[in-house]
Amino acid sequence: MGLVARVVEESGIPTITVSTGRDITALVNPPRTLFLNFPMGNTFGRVGDATMQTKILHNALDLAVTAEEPGVLVDSPLKWDEDFVYFTGDATPEAIAKQKKK
Amino acid sequence: MEPIRYVDALNDKYGAMGFPPYRWSENDSAPWTALMKPLSDCTVALLVSGGISHCSVAPFDPDARNDHRVDAIDPEEATDQYQIHDSYYNHADADADLNCIFPVDRLRELADAGEIGAVAGRHWSGFMGRTYNRSKVRDESGPALVASLKADGVDLLVAIPA
Repeated sequence: MGLVARVVEESGIPTITVSTGRDITALVNPPRTLFLNFPMGNTFGRVGDATMQTKILHNALDLAVTAEEPGVLVDSPLKWDEDFVYFTGDATPEAIAKQKKK
Repeated sequence: MEPIRYVDALNDKYGAMGFPPYRWSENDSAPWTALMKPLSDCTVALLVSGGISHCSVAPFDPDARNDHRVDAIDPEEATDQYQIHDSYYNHADADADLNCIFPVDRLRELADAGEIGAVAGRHWSGFMGRTYNRSKVRDESGPALVASLKADGVDLLVAIPA
């Protein structure tokens, strides 16, 4: 997706990427990124929380206006309420415990 | 908590499924096009890679690789008319509220409030992960999307990887 953003940007259309995978985004280096330390799949927050969804979308749009340097990656100050792990599709308690040990 | 290190986690997972090792593109610099208009004059489109498709068309392959499919999404369609097929992330919340990953309703509200100029005529869903043939993004599927964005007069694209 970061690569697509780069292609679009090169064509003359500005892009803002909203990411939950910080290390991947840092490698691919899209033009502008707002990073949310949220679970993948919850980029804009929780079910039914329109206030939070709007806030994050707004923050992303604002970054498109204020960013001045190619490759800027801004860490959103918003926090997810509880710790989370990488989703493997096998989210049994045992699987989560195994991931946490890594 | 520290951000999850997905590069290692994803390679562990997909390696175990028989996928070849995946190396993300590494770029030292980024391209740049300045946003020349205020948001209140901008036509904004969304692009999401979360396996979201309209219920009237075939679902995405949840374990896709090298899938360059990109669907146009009607911004006016109700969010409960979509299905998600993607094994790369937990979409239980997005199944219940598409706006968790693809904030089509929230963007429309910003347009109604005059904070953005307009919602683009089409949003986009595609570019599932595990793209090993990345030159095709640069040479074919990416430019095809660009042509559509330009046809729609898009001033700003919000890209949402999942």
